[in-house]
Amino acid sequence: MAVIKVPQPPKSAFNKNRPVSALLKNQILHLHEVERKFPPAQHSNIYINAIKTEGEAAAYIQKVTARLHPEGAKRVRFDIAAAVETKAKSRTKSKPKSQPKRK
Amino acid sequence: MPPGLDSLKHIVVLMMENRSFDHMLGALKAQNPLIDGLTGNESNLDTTGATIKVQPLAEFQSQLDPDPDHHFPAVDLQIFNGDTSNPRVANMQGFVKSYYQQQNDVGHSAKILYYFTPDKLPVLTTLATEFAVFNGWFASIPGPTICNRAFPHYGTSFGQVSMDVFYVKEPYKSIYERMIAANPAHTAKIYYFDQASSTMEIVNLLQNQPQLFATYDQFLSDCKAGTLPDYSFVEPNYNDHDGDDGEELASDQHPDHNVQAGELFIASIYNAIKENPALWASTALLIVYDEHGGIYDHVPPPACTPDGFVAQPNDTGTGMPFAFDRLGVRVPAILVSPWIPKGTVVTGRVFEHASIPATVTKFFLGDYDPRSPREKAADTFLDLLSLPTMRTDGPEFQTS
Repeated sequence: MAVIKVPQPPKSAFNKNRPVSALLKNQILHLHEVERKFPPAQHSNIYINAIKTEGEAAAYIQKVTARLHPEGAKRVRFDIAAAVETKAKSRTKSKPKSQPKRK
Repeated sequence: MPPGLDSLKHIVVLMMENRSFDHMLGALKAQNPLIDGLTGNESNLDTTGATIKVQPLAEFQSQLDPDPDHHFPAVDLQIFNGDTSNPRVANMQGFVKSYYQQQNDVGHSAKILYYFTPDKLPVLTTLATEFAVFNGWFASIPGPTICNRAFPHYGTSFGQVSMDVFYVKEPYKSIYERMIAANPAHTAKIYYFDQASSTMEIVNLLQNQPQLFATYDQFLSDCKAGTLPDYSFVEPNYNDHDGDDGEELASDQHPDHNVQAGELFIASIYNAIKENPALWASTALLIVYDEHGGIYDHVPPPACTPDGFVAQPNDTGTGMPFAFDRLGVRVPAILVSPWIPKGTVVTGRVFEHASIPATVTKFFLGDYDPRSPREKAADTFLDLLSLPTMRTDGPEFQTS
């Protein structure tokens, strides 16, 4: 079968200033429900009623999701971090537990 | 057991957003009369009493703005055209009236009947005609996203018909919990696009079991490495945002997001599976939409097994209770596997999102009792992998 070339959307399709849909508003409310249970120091400090655009929504969604699922950070960064951690662990294997963590 | 099921190791579900069957696939009836699409004569009356016919004028973006109402009362109007008598007949005659209420514009309200021609959706329509397309896959609830998206995860929405926060009730467990708690244990993941898009399954699963989650990038890596879980649920990107790699365009196809971006996303999921030959031979991919998004479909949703919950009139917004005894509007659903005969049209059967955990449970876990009445009654779909030998053809999509 012939290869089917899938058309690309136009550049103008992207609009992070698009007003948030009912779906995104509710996704924010669900995240806020969870965020309220975080210790104060871990709050996003974003006033959700002020979120008007998709870009603003994404910023809030990212902050709360990162707190809930830090492993969801970009995989390439995650892989590098994991590698560093593994390396650090192997270097500190015989050191006492009180040894400060390598940064 | 058919060879396709003998070979099956992975089930992948990709759930898109807010498009009806007729809107996306209805034009395929002209190519194959077995597909229960559009003849071109389907119509609604507008608010002036004029007959408005379906037209092949759907556009990728900027046409269904404002977003068509698809909350419970609006869908009730779309299906029953304002009839509140008991009993009443679903006639799918209230879509134009419902969309008119969004901005009181008679001309604009006709756009809710527009549909795509196949050339505009090469990915979705090619997969539909190359593999299996379902004539009767319906949203689980005649309502919005969150309650409908609960059904693939739990086989129920726990009595919700809205977008509100809901909490899991015993004895029902998510399909992921069932899988990982089984003996022997199975593997299951929910792949969301990225942290800025996240998931719609927040207060129950993401909050309490974040280990079930991974990202789209991880999905691509897992496909390449052959480390995909037994069951995967994939969510598209729900918003336009700036990502680490530049602009990330919403790919969920929710109005008013660009439909072509969703085509690319669907193709990327298909390609990721197909490019690993071992994975391709051992995977069934279901592409399905959560609900119709207020957009026209001509098939009345059928009655169904009640779910054991009742939504009260204050919750439905219609002045009537709802016993979860009728399905929502029909949505596109396509099953992809090299073990499916080319051009399969699934006719005379009814599926809904509870069919997803029903199928996954039946295949991986066998007997498992604490499931909702809806899930227990739901049809399953792996019998469609019926070929005695694996196909070696299948479309290839170039996405860059």
